[in-house]
Order: sequence, then structure tokens, then C-alpha cells
Amino acid sequence: MLRHVTNRILGQGLRLPATPAAVGGSGLPRMYHERVVDHYNHPRNVGSFDKNDEDVGTGLVGAPACGDVMKLQIKVDDETGKIVDACFKTFGCGSAIASSSLATEWVKGKKMEEVLTIKNTEIAKHLSLPPVKLHCSMLAEDAIKAAVKDYEDKHSK
Amino acid sequence: MWKKKLYSSTPLLTILLRTSKIPKIHSPNSVSHKNITLLDPLLQTSASFSSSSSSPFVEIEGVSFPTVGGIFFGGPTFHRENVNLFTKKKNSFCSESKSAEKLQCWNCDATADGTTPFLVCQSCRSVQAVNHSIDYFQILGVERKYNIEVEKLEEKYKNWQKKLHPDLVHSKSQREREYAAEQSARVINAYRTLTDPLSRAIYILKLENVVVDEEERITDPELLAEIMELREAVEEAEGNQALNQIKAQIQDKMQYWCKSFEDAFLNKKYENAIASIQRMTYYKRANEEIIKKL
Repeated sequence: MLRHVTNRILGQGLRLPATPAAVGGSGLPRMYHERVVDHYNHPRNVGSFDKNDEDVGTGLVGAPACGDVMKLQIKVDDETGKIVDACFKTFGCGSAIASSSLATEWVKGKKMEEVLTIKNTEIAKHLSLPPVKLHCSMLAEDAIKAAVKDYEDKHSK
Repeated sequence: MWKKKLYSSTPLLTILLRTSKIPKIHSPNSVSHKNITLLDPLLQTSASFSSSSSSPFVEIEGVSFPTVGGIFFGGPTFHRENVNLFTKKKNSFCSESKSAEKLQCWNCDATADGTTPFLVCQSCRSVQAVNHSIDYFQILGVERKYNIEVEKLEEKYKNWQKKLHPDLVHSKSQREREYAAEQSARVINAYRTLTDPLSRAIYILKLENVVVDEEERITDPELLAEIMELREAVEEAEGNQALNQIKAQIQDKMQYWCKSFEDAFLNKKYENAIASIQRMTYYKRANEEIIKKL
């Protein structure tokens, strides 16, 4: 009976990631992947930093076709060049919110050069984004780059 | 080049001779109108032919189907269902000639009179197949410009639905029922697209072959900051009064940008037109959020 129970738990655990997020031809209803739902219901790092603050870089990007806006801010430690904190504010679909939320998680503790290598494909893969939502991950990548650029512009003056 | 082959191949002649003996050749979809001259003498010898007084050429919304399989439409075993496959195909070989062609009813062979879009036959009232070269402006009988009178659209839309709504064709053939479903859907799309200013803008640009890129991202700080503030204001607004105030502001902005789009469109400044559309999209989204909250 114990095995039965563990099998059930394991079975569920294994089953969920395999659930297609939105597979076109399979006939299954389009669903947000559980990670996207998680980020949507429990978003990490929502908020705002003072954009005039010396340590803060602000990336503001938008996708006009769907009317999305995404703001991603980073707080950088000047000496080490590491991102010590990050926050975001996104108005858009669940995938856009999840992408930016994930982005803030990923940039924390990394150096600025490192985060520039974060690719939208990685974000999309982690969230199992369907093809129609890939541009949301692109937006998140753009936001990271814009934030870094803003910080560098502030410090190059 | 395949047409030359058809002209010269004797097997075709025998096939056509055979087919001329069939009582009803309403939709020899496979035969291109270029083969008219070939068919002429054959058709005239046919006994029980439709009562069309116009020229005996048979035509279906300009479909020319080149495969040999298509030619074999003859025989009592020919299924009407197959016909639908052919009629739905667009004439990809000579789309230019669509306007010059005479459209004919599949049911009674009456020719379209050209005064109204040929969605329904004027003599036998049967619903026709969807013709994608008839754009939404033509369907609803308005000029192809941005600044149209939206009030007039409803009347035209309802008039069309009185003629081709699927509920009216319950007792008709499977084919006509399918046509009615498609035509009705197309008319509904036309109505919806043209009534909403934003979708009308996108559509009218599309007709000029200017497509708004779905995946484009922008970094215009002013615009984005404004939209960010707007969306934040909507989120934080308390009470319907505050929301309605913001709503009124958005309405003003929408009107401004609609006008801006129109000017840009008339002057063929398509980049400005797209910029206007982008703004309108953002305002529309904000408006939707307000409506959700109200």
C-alpha cells in the first residue's frame, strides 16, 4: 500500500512537467505550464526601486502588438559589479509576467556581464512557453539588457 | 503550360465529350475558363441544360484546377462533396482576372450583376461560396477609407444576415449549408473588424500590404513610461469615479490617435500609421483593465 501511495505521488510529480503547455495539434486544451501559473500566483520580486538611485538600472520594454509593458530593475554593487537585488513590474499576459519574474530570479547574485548571456530560449524552455508566447521571453531578455545598459550609461558619465 | 497540354491532348476531348452527356454540369470546377472555346460546341449539344440565357461557359468563382484528377468530374458517381473541395480553392493562377470574370451561380448559372457583392445569387437566392477577393469594405458597402460611418454598418450587416444566415438554409443541400456557415462568419468578421477603430486600422493597412509585426518590441522610454503610469493608475484607482475619470482620459487619447492614424494613412506615412496603431493598442488594453475593474 505504501508503494501504491508513493507511486501515486511520484506519478503525479512526473506527470505534471510532461503535460504539454500548449501543444497545437494534440487536441489537449491550451494550458499554462505549472511554473507559469506559479510565477503568476506567487510572483517573486514585484516592486520598484528608485530609478534615480545611483545603483539602480532600469529596463523598460514593450510589445506593442499585444499591449505589454515590462519594467525590470537591478541594484548593482559598484565594487563587485554584481547584481545584488532585482525587481520587476509587468502589465501583460501570464507568460510575460512569469518571464520577467523568472528573469529577476536569475539575475540576482550574478555579474552584469553574465546576465547579458541569458537567452530568451532558456527562459522559454524553463517555463515551457508555447510558440505563440515566445516573444514574452524575448521581452524579458530585452528588459535585462536594457537594465544593464541603463546602469552603464549612468556610470559612464 | 499545363493548359497547352490540355488543348492538345485527345484524351481530354473524349473526356469532355463524355461529360457533355451528363445532364447537369453545374460546377465543372476543374475546367478553367480558358477552356471555354473548347467546351462551347460540346455544351450546346447537351440536351437538358440549365436555363441560363447568358453565354454557355461554365465557371465557378474563377477556380481553375489543373490536375488531371480534376478533369474526371464526369459520371453519375461524381460526388457533390468533391465539388466543395474545388470551389474553396482560390484561383492562384490568375487572381488579376477575378474582377474581370463573370461570377456565376453554382445553382442556377445566373451571372452576378456586379452591383452588389456576390455573396448570394440574386435570381435563385442560393448562398455562394466565399470569395476572398471581396474585402470587408465591399461586403458592407462602404468606401475603402478609415473614417467611415459606423452607424451604417449595422443595417448592411443585418441585411446580409437575413439572406445568408445558416438558420435559413436548414432544408437546403449540404453544400449550401456549408456556404452559408462560411459566408455568415465572414460577414460577422467584416462587421466586427470595421466597427472597432483599432481593428479597422489594422485591416485597412493590411489591404495595403502593410502588416503590423506581432513580435516587434519597442524601447521608446516616453511612450512606455506613460503607459506604465497609466496602467499603475488603473491598478491603484479606488472607486468607480476615479476609474471613469481615467477612462475619459483614455477616450480622448484614443480619438487623438485615431485622427493621427487617419492622417498618416491618407498621406501614406505608414510608419506613423503603425505608431498610431501601437498607441491605440496600449490604450485599448488599459481600457479593458478599467472595464474589468468597474
